[in-house]
Amino acid sequence: MTARPYPWKRPRGWWLRNPRYLSFQLREAGGVVSALYGLILLNMLLQLRAGESAYTAFLDTMRTPPMLYVNLVLFGLVVFHAVSWFMLIGKAQPIRFTEKPIPWKSAFAVNLVLWLGVSGAVVYLIFGGL
Amino acid sequence: MADRDVVFRVKRYRPEKDSKPSYQRYRIPYRDDMVVLDGLNYIKDTMDPTLTFRWSCRMGICGSCGANVNGQPKLTCGTYIRDVHRGVVTVDPLTNFPIIKDLVVDFDDFLNKLASVKPYIVREDWGDLTKEYVQYPEDIEAYKQQSMCINCMLCYAACPVVGANPHFVGPAAAALALRYIRDSRDEGADARLERLNTKSGVWECTFVGECSVVCPKDVDPAGALQTLKFLATMRHMKRLLMPKMASR
Amino acid sequence: MADETQAPEIASMWNPGRETVHADLEAAEPEVLMEPMIWGLFSLGGFITAFLFPVTLFLLFFAAPLGLWPTDPGAFDAFAARWADPIVRLFFVVLIGGSLFHGTHRLKFMLVDAGAKSPGVQGFLDVVLNGLAILGTLGALFYALSGWLF
Repeated sequence: MTARPYPWKRPRGWWLRNPRYLSFQLREAGGVVSALYGLILLNMLLQLRAGESAYTAFLDTMRTPPMLYVNLVLFGLVVFHAVSWFMLIGKAQPIRFTEKPIPWKSAFAVNLVLWLGVSGAVVYLIFGGL
Repeated sequence: MADRDVVFRVKRYRPEKDSKPSYQRYRIPYRDDMVVLDGLNYIKDTMDPTLTFRWSCRMGICGSCGANVNGQPKLTCGTYIRDVHRGVVTVDPLTNFPIIKDLVVDFDDFLNKLASVKPYIVREDWGDLTKEYVQYPEDIEAYKQQSMCINCMLCYAACPVVGANPHFVGPAAAALALRYIRDSRDEGADARLERLNTKSGVWECTFVGECSVVCPKDVDPAGALQTLKFLATMRHMKRLLMPKMASR
Repeated sequence: MADETQAPEIASMWNPGRETVHADLEAAEPEVLMEPMIWGLFSLGGFITAFLFPVTLFLLFFAAPLGLWPTDPGAFDAFAARWADPIVRLFFVVLIGGSLFHGTHRLKFMLVDAGAKSPGVQGFLDVVLNGLAILGTLGALFYALSGWLF
């Protein structure tokens, strides 16, 4: 055969081709935004060490509009990332606790319940309760 | 007797005379019980004998007839026209592969990747080959899901990582590696994990999960890849921390 | 570990097609050294981010401004009081470290996917992104220990 096979090149907008690819990109973005918040929390500790006026100035910047709206969008991505993580560890199950893999919907539900429990523990242990 | 017509819009590529692929439309009669493969065969038998495509068993076990139908990787023998019929049924060759001609793609790369994971029982000592190896039902359950792979490559068409990085070992080869690692008769886990712990191995996977969505045999290559990442990490840590003990 | 050449008669008997597939089984690709560990940290960070971030961020940045909580856990007095507790300090070190290792790994894959494919660029990204995660974690550790150990 003298003619070459026609080569493949992945199109730029590949992730717009179906909803699962799009949700994958949003999940990835949620992960990156989580790192961003990690840096923001680090800055918060820096401002805490600098004193009350520095800390309060930082917190006000984060909470007043339009920063509040930006934060809400970013927070939405973080929550999307968290929920998709619970779904994924239901689907992957690399460590097997039972003989057969648990159906992923059950694992997902268990993870959501665990999440509620852990969140409650954080409210009480870290933030001192209601 | 046909109920109605449907238009098949099929990607053509004739390497001797085309510089790039283009679509050709065929209007064919169809019945409710036709699959996409029946449509392609109708075209080839009665309208255009030059249309080229792979197929064999017509029942979803040989893995030959993979194609993109309306943008989704499918087995054409297992896709009813009535389920994808929106006036026009678009048939493309499988995504992520070079095109040899029309719907026929070049998958030599896949065969090399498959061979590289040693998809066969590997043992130091074969023992008495006149007797069978005993396996209980739970031993078979451990690898049964991944053993259902028919090498149809729909998962490679679905995987965006394969699309961007042709060297990635890919879902099916990884799933088959796990099938043999989990087989109680096999002793080749270390060799396979060594191969998968490379730049073209499991670490390229970002768990998009589309491979498991399109798999017609429910092999779940995405889950297999995450398990392999975990196994490869365990093996890596063992070799770093306890080099004398890690010799399986 | 069985070598490819150990049982040649059996090998060619039940897999005759192997010779026609040009698999270069002799020249093995080298193993990677750091990827498994980084993936392990990424996975751990994913658990930390998924389970701990939503409630923490909500309480610090959204609970009071949106009127959804009776107190303001993020305000200076409230937070500084909690900061005295070593568990709280450990919590934030874990949170910052976990989210950084998780997110930088994802960022690297997003950048590679978007076009940063050459090995030189990938190596550079590895150093910069993992370096950022390590420095961030050390920074958090520094703030956690200051006022307590020094």
